[in-house]
Amino acid sequence: MPTTAQHVPSRQPSASQETPAVRVRGLRRTYGRGADAFDAVRGIDLDVARGSITALLGTNGAGKTSTLEVLEGINRPDGGTVEVLGLDPVGDRARVRRRIGVLLQTSGFSGDLTVEETLRMWAATVTGARPVAEALEMLDLTGRAATRVRSLSGGEVRRLDLACTLLGHPELVMLDEPTTGLDPESRREVWRLVRRLREDGCTVLLTTHYLEEAEALADRLEVMHAGLLVRSGTPAEIAAGHRSTISFRSLDPALGDRLAADLRLPARDVEVGAEAGTTSLRTPDLQPVLTDLLTWCREHDVHLEGLDARTASLEQVFLAIADGSAPA
Amino acid sequence: MSTTTRTTPRASVPDARRVGGLAAANARLLVRNRLTLVDGVLLPLAPLVMLAVTADEPAAGASTVSLALLFAYLFPVFYNLLSVVVTRRDELVLKRLRTGETTDAELVLALALPGVVVAVLVAAVVVPVAVALGMPWPADLALYALMVVTACVMFVAFALWTASWTRNAEAAQLTSAPVLLLAVAGSVVALVPEGVAEVLQRTPGGALDTLVQLAWLGGGADGTWAQALQPLLVLLAWTALALLLAQRSMRWEPRA
Repeated sequence: MPTTAQHVPSRQPSASQETPAVRVRGLRRTYGRGADAFDAVRGIDLDVARGSITALLGTNGAGKTSTLEVLEGINRPDGGTVEVLGLDPVGDRARVRRRIGVLLQTSGFSGDLTVEETLRMWAATVTGARPVAEALEMLDLTGRAATRVRSLSGGEVRRLDLACTLLGHPELVMLDEPTTGLDPESRREVWRLVRRLREDGCTVLLTTHYLEEAEALADRLEVMHAGLLVRSGTPAEIAAGHRSTISFRSLDPALGDRLAADLRLPARDVEVGAEAGTTSLRTPDLQPVLTDLLTWCREHDVHLEGLDARTASLEQVFLAIADGSAPA
Repeated sequence: MSTTTRTTPRASVPDARRVGGLAAANARLLVRNRLTLVDGVLLPLAPLVMLAVTADEPAAGASTVSLALLFAYLFPVFYNLLSVVVTRRDELVLKRLRTGETTDAELVLALALPGVVVAVLVAAVVVPVAVALGMPWPADLALYALMVVTACVMFVAFALWTASWTRNAEAAQLTSAPVLLLAVAGSVVALVPEGVAEVLQRTPGGALDTLVQLAWLGGGADGTWAQALQPLLVLLAWTALALLLAQRSMRWEPRA
C-alpha cells in the first residue's frame, strides 16, 4: 500500500501496481433511516485490476451509482471497506483525488461560460493539469473552444465533461454512464477514448446499462442487480452455461414434433418451443444439435426459412437476471 | 480498517490557485449576466450618489454611508451569493466540482469572493468620496474595517443557510425576505417608539447602523470602543448563529 502522496504518472510502473486499483469488501450503502430506509448496496466484494476496463452493468436502481459514489469519496460506506489505489477515498481524500478522474452520470456546467473558460477553471483546480489546448484537442473540442456551454450539443457537453475528468492525467477513472443519451457516433467516439486510456495504462471503471457497450469495451463485467453483484467475469464467462438458441420460421406446424422425436431432443436436454411463428431449440450444446438438425434437413429435403443460430448472449443472461428467472 | 470508523480528514488551508481559478469564473459569470451585473455591481454604487446631498450634515451623511454599506452587504454579498449557490447547485456544478480536488471550503470561498470584493470596494471607496463631499474623516477606521469584514462573513453565512431551503432561483425572491428584514430593521430605528427601537437595535441591521455612526462620528466622552462593545457583541452573536445554521444546513445538490 503506498504511503506517499506523490503523483504516479500512469505510464510508469510503480510498486503499487500489484494491488488492485479498487478493492471493495462487504460494501453496504443505505439511504434514509428507520422504516423508510432503503438498501441501495447490500454487501458487495469487488476488485478492479490495474490497467483493465471493468464495467459495472445493471438496470436502473441496481446500485451502480451508489457504489461509484462511495468509491469516488462523495459518500461514506454504511458498512464494509473500500480502498482506492490502496487508500481510503474519504480519509485520504486529497491524495486520492489527485490521482483519479470522475465523470458523474449528469454533467454540471454553467451555461454562460465558454468551453475554454470552463476548462481553464477546472485546470486551476487540478494538480499537474494538462494544457487546456491539449485537453480541447484530445476531446475534439478545439473548434468549439469559444462556444458557450449552453449552445453545445449533448454529445459535446459530455465530451467537455470527459475533458475535465482527464485533465489531471488520472491513473484511475470512474465513469458513471459515460454514453447515456449520446448519439451512436458520439458513443463510438467515447469508446475509442476509453480504449485509448487503457492503452496508456489507465484503469477504467465504468457503469452502463448498455450490454453492447459492456461487451465492446470491458475486460471484465460485474453484473449488479438489486444491490448485489450477481455475476462476474469476462463476457464469455458470464454467458457460458447459458443455452444457445437455434430458431427458424415454423412453416410446418408438425416439424418441431418430428425433430424432437427423430433427433431425441428431450433426452439431450434441448427445449423445443414455438412462439409467434418461430420454432426455437434451446440447447446447452450448440454445435452437435445444429449439425444433426442440418443433416436431418438434407436427408428429408426440408428447407428452413429464417434459420438463425447463436450462442448465449450477454443480453439473454442479463434479461434473465433482471426479470428474476436466473438465480442471483 | 473500516472506512466508517475513520476520522474526517483534517481541514486543510484553502489553495489560492484553486480558489482564484474558481472565483475568476464566478466573477466572469457575475458580470456576464445583465441581471446579476445590475444587482451585484451597479446597485450598490447608487447610494454613493445620495452622499452629494447629505454629506454636508454629518449625521445625515453617516446614515447615507450606513445605507451604502447595507446595499453592499445585501446585493453583491447576500442576494448574489444566495442566487448563485441555488443556480450552481441546480445545474449540478457544485456536485461536479466536489468530485475533484477542490474542498468544500474552497468552493464556498470562491462563490462568495466576487460579491465580497465588491462590498469591500464599496466600503473602501465610500470613505474618500464622503470626505471629498464634506464629511469629516471616520473617527475609527479599525472599527469600521472590523465591522465590514464581520458583516460580510455574516451575510455570506446567511446566504448559504437561506439557499439550503430555497427550491430554485425564482424562489429566492421570497426566501430572501427574512434576512432582508433583519438587515433593514436598523434603518427605521429613528422612526419607531423607544421600546421597539431597543429591539430593533439588537437585529443585525440595527447593530450595523449603530456601528457605522460610532465608527464615523466617534463615541464622544465614553470612548468609541466602549460604546461599540454592545453592538459588536450583537453582530458577533448573529454571525455565530448564521455560521452555525449554514454549516448544519448546507446542501450541494438538488433534492432527489
